[in-house]
Amino acid sequence: MDRRGFLLGTTAIGALLAAGTSLAFAQDDAATPPLTDFPRNETLIINNPENPSTNPSNFNMWVAGNGSSWSNGLHQLVLDTLWFIDPDNGLDGSMYNELATGPWEYNADFTEMVVKLRQGIMWSDGVEFTAADVKYTVETQIANPGMVWSAPFADAIESVDTPDDYTVHFKLKKPNARFHSLFTVRWNGAWIMPKHIFEQQADVKAFDFNPPVGLGPYTLNSFDPNGGWYIWEKRADWDKTAMAEWGEPAPKFVIYRSIPNNDKRLIEMVNGDLDMIHDLSPEGMFALANQDPTARGWFPGFPYAHPDPTLPMVIFNTQNPMFQDNRVRWALALMLDPLEMSMASYRGAATLSAIAMPPTGTHTDDYHGPLQDYLIGYELNTGKQTIKPYDPTVGQRIADMVRPQFGESVPTEEAAIHKSFGFGWWKQDLAAAGELLEAAGFTKQGDQWIMADGQPFKFTLKTFPDGVINRLGTDIAQQWARAGVQATAETVPDIFGNELPLGDYEAAMGWSIETWGGNPDLSFFLDSWHSDYVAEPGERQTARNWQRWSNPKLDEIIETMRVTEFTDHDANVALGNDFIKLMVDEMPVIPVMSFNVFSAYDTRYWTGFPTAEANPYANIVNNWANSKYILTQLKPAG
Amino acid sequence: MKAYFFFALKRLIQLICVIFAGCSIAFFVSHLSPISPVESIIGRVSGQSSYSPEAIENLRAALTEMFGLDVPLHEQYFNFLRRLAVGDFGPSLLAFPRPAIELVMLALPWTFGLLTVSTLLTWLIGNVAGGLAGYYQNSRLLKALGILAIAIQPIPYYIVAFMMVIIFGFFWPVLPISGGFAMNVRQAWTPEFVLSVLHYAILPAASLTIVGIGTWFLGMRALVSNIVTEDYVTFAELGGVKRNRIVFSYVMRNAMVPQLTSLAMTLGAIFSGTIITEQVFSYPGLGSLLVTAVNRGDSATTLAVSCIAVIAVASAIFIIDLLHPLVDPRVRAE
Amino acid sequence: MFAVFRDLIRYNVEFAIGAVLVTVIVIFAGLSFFSPVDPTQIYLAIPDQPPGAQYWFGTNSRGQDMFWQLSFAFRNTLIFGLTVALISRVISIVVGLAAGYMGGWVDRVLMFINDIFVAIPIFPILILFYFVLRSNLNGFTLALAMACFGWPYDARLIRSVTLGLRHREFTRQAVFAGMSPMKIMLEEHLPYVMPIVFATTMANMIWSIGLEVTLAVLGFTNINIPTVGTTLYWANNHSAMVVGTWWWILIPVIIVVLLFIGLFLLAVSLNEYIDPRSRLRRMGA
Repeated sequence: MDRRGFLLGTTAIGALLAAGTSLAFAQDDAATPPLTDFPRNETLIINNPENPSTNPSNFNMWVAGNGSSWSNGLHQLVLDTLWFIDPDNGLDGSMYNELATGPWEYNADFTEMVVKLRQGIMWSDGVEFTAADVKYTVETQIANPGMVWSAPFADAIESVDTPDDYTVHFKLKKPNARFHSLFTVRWNGAWIMPKHIFEQQADVKAFDFNPPVGLGPYTLNSFDPNGGWYIWEKRADWDKTAMAEWGEPAPKFVIYRSIPNNDKRLIEMVNGDLDMIHDLSPEGMFALANQDPTARGWFPGFPYAHPDPTLPMVIFNTQNPMFQDNRVRWALALMLDPLEMSMASYRGAATLSAIAMPPTGTHTDDYHGPLQDYLIGYELNTGKQTIKPYDPTVGQRIADMVRPQFGESVPTEEAAIHKSFGFGWWKQDLAAAGELLEAAGFTKQGDQWIMADGQPFKFTLKTFPDGVINRLGTDIAQQWARAGVQATAETVPDIFGNELPLGDYEAAMGWSIETWGGNPDLSFFLDSWHSDYVAEPGERQTARNWQRWSNPKLDEIIETMRVTEFTDHDANVALGNDFIKLMVDEMPVIPVMSFNVFSAYDTRYWTGFPTAEANPYANIVNNWANSKYILTQLKPAG
Repeated sequence: MKAYFFFALKRLIQLICVIFAGCSIAFFVSHLSPISPVESIIGRVSGQSSYSPEAIENLRAALTEMFGLDVPLHEQYFNFLRRLAVGDFGPSLLAFPRPAIELVMLALPWTFGLLTVSTLLTWLIGNVAGGLAGYYQNSRLLKALGILAIAIQPIPYYIVAFMMVIIFGFFWPVLPISGGFAMNVRQAWTPEFVLSVLHYAILPAASLTIVGIGTWFLGMRALVSNIVTEDYVTFAELGGVKRNRIVFSYVMRNAMVPQLTSLAMTLGAIFSGTIITEQVFSYPGLGSLLVTAVNRGDSATTLAVSCIAVIAVASAIFIIDLLHPLVDPRVRAE
Repeated sequence: MFAVFRDLIRYNVEFAIGAVLVTVIVIFAGLSFFSPVDPTQIYLAIPDQPPGAQYWFGTNSRGQDMFWQLSFAFRNTLIFGLTVALISRVISIVVGLAAGYMGGWVDRVLMFINDIFVAIPIFPILILFYFVLRSNLNGFTLALAMACFGWPYDARLIRSVTLGLRHREFTRQAVFAGMSPMKIMLEEHLPYVMPIVFATTMANMIWSIGLEVTLAVLGFTNINIPTVGTTLYWANNHSAMVVGTWWWILIPVIIVVLLFIGLFLLAVSLNEYIDPRSRLRRMGA
């Protein structure tokens, strides 16, 4: 063989070997035939906001940290639990009885809870769902620490009995009027495990639950071995699931596609390869509305975005000596210009909130509207004078400000403006801020503030590496810097993973307040704010009270809440008012706005999506498990 | 043959040293991290559920042992080398407790395929075109190509890749812009699957190729324009040897040798381009995995990807080096 | 030195074009010292203004005047590229001279290490640096890390030149005159390799700036510092391509491409100057 022949030969063999090794990994189910196509009029394509799954073939989402995806359709379409609560109006009220036939029943002192279950509900493999599955779910997770709901179950539950196949009886360790909320889905909740599948496993934590067996109307059709997409197919016996009560889900197939890049989401929708987008950048949303006549957001025009019941805020590390005086925290709030924050973060499409309550769902009617008089009359003593810091015209002024650019699509009615842009916010008042700082012992040298101990008032504000929260943080630090505080913004990649729980920050952008959205009750975030849970400096703080703030009055509110019936609307609103007023006085966090998500949908292939103006029956933000109810309202277009 | 054997042996020793050094650097850099992988996992796991302090303490102890962090650094290093030999990088954090190496192996074939195809294409097209341009120095077309090559070659990978997305996914949507293959085929040894993979690889491979060609084109053109002045080429021309034969057998053959050496040298850089390209096209390879691992603070997977990259690139260079004597008689005689 | 420069400008079109391009961009970057705005501040100008009389390069969606923003970006990028080039030049000169002049086992050891460094893919290692340092990764640290990997190819070049010098008459004379090896290397040999050092500086800058852009686009550098890479990061972050704020991406890309072309032409023409064979060809010999 001459040299050329040898060369060609080796190259060819090398190439073949390369191809061979590449595909050696790709033959798990070579025997199965290729899939059918997915006819567009039978298929709904949804954007999964998460990155492609890192453990694509694992569906055991009861185990924390194993890389199984949740919002790839698994928790929306396949799993189920006792109740759902919608952040918006809901199909028939915001409370849904899913696997339960009616609301929870507590005994008089909230130490026992009884649930009645629906009959005739089938797991997707044809086995009937019974009370034994609920009992198994609880006991298995208590027995296996490290599962997602192990700790809350172990903390709350003394025992669980099943008097008959359709009744579950919980005995609790201590009075708890909010115990049912563990089984109530806001965006996620304690999902029921199939006993007949898991009890065959030697190690439930190592089980990959592939294919998943669920109680929802869909089952797994196929998935990308690289985690990029998941395809779910409607069960033939969909009418044997709890969701059948609200109608038949229209699409035969639902595809959840992971598209991490914002721009590509827009492109895929314009090309007709995506029906629902989870989130875009503000600019991307404006561009989509321009370029795709059949695409829209939650609002028909500006500000488009769906306000999530999550409250982006400045979080002070109140264990840091710098931020222990509420006058200092108030001074920092009064240095901020609400209009600038709205423009900087959301290009004006922000819904501002001066109080520690997301201005979304039913909260504007329960809290923001009724509290306007209190806020307008609120007085703050700066040490030199008493001021009224609240400006009720902020929402109106933002609407006026964006109208030249977005014209007709900006609402003009007062009520709509309040829903879209918020009611009001604190006035920027540098003089009052200065007086507060002086009262707290600060002095001004040149144009810089010096703390009582002689050190310059200097700190970093940690913020997200991208998106609106990044912009908001950058702008806030800049506003403080202009007011003589040496604040600098610093981007960190995983603020909720590291800095907030470890307390490794001075001030941070993020949120410690998330609510049900469709109900005035605050237990969703507030229970974890009890001083019992506040960690020592340097220790890991358990979820949500990232500011590590405690207050006797707060504990009192939480303890009362624990023995107030969830459905007692007025009592809960009263507790909520107490909480809001305490937060206004103390200002341990500076509330800024709701987390507005630029979700979009395209009506080219499907119609019947919820709208803010006419039919706000569900949250269009589709990583929420609640978004499944949309499927029952859809109709093929044309 | 004996000479070739010693040559290969020498290269093999070098390969082992490269892998050893590269992986060691990766190990020490990653262990300088102030973020302990154990604390990251605890953060992630306990963030999804409220843990009791005792449960956290137990988890911490178990994880510390699992990662082998309970011994001094030098012992950790020796353990790392020992585990490296069997490809054990510890459990990943992205898919805890699935071994990091499993995630890497899932991603590796995709990067490998994309890299191999685009590198071969780039190298062949660039060199042939560059060789022709060096030989036929008066051709207008080839001159224009040269200017184009100078202009395109410095554009960052990201821009070219994203322009491809915009052009072929948006303005003229004819090609798929994300993923490795279509949703209506199964990953299996079938013609449908292979065609789908090729279909989905067009844009990523094309963007890598477009950026890469310029370098080879310019390099080859410069080499060839030097070689054409050599006496033996003039002799061949005078002797009436066919032009095609002169270009390919006399001129390019000689210029290929340094270009092969450069290929070995630039593989690392090509790899970094692939990371970006994969990111833009959501291609399921090592680059996407590395970016996810870094963003999620998964040190085990990050270290695993780095080490595998070192091993893969070094091995590729090793193979190119082994081919060297076959194209260049001078090296063979050494 | 100056005469060489003058001749190059006069007789070598490529060098002239390259020099003009690089000079213009350096001047542009230098303007940042007189900038009226702070590049870290946002929303100081009306966002999304296309290039025009008031904002020459337009404004971005963060309300920054792109003219001044890019001026800062190119200053940081050029300083970054130069830092990498300088540090890695020092390493490659030391290694190349020592290996070439000393020969023997010193040469073998150094070249062995050299070959190892050539084969290590630097990008994952740099990402590891970011992984460890996160927002503490400033421009200088990154430059230092990159410089540690940016020398081997050029060290080999320098070594090959020094190998030739070793047997030249003046080297022997210097040895007989009792000059120390250090002195011989620095005073006798260094001037001979300087042209190569200059030529490789350009190539090295292209390399390091390209890497910085790649890292920054992924968000793996300190995105609080304006550079060419972070400019593209923020543009991407604000969907600049699909939204139509094309100037946010196009202008930095054009300038960086011009910079690269300039550096490339300088490197090529310097190489030509070093390699007389191709110079002869140009003169028509």
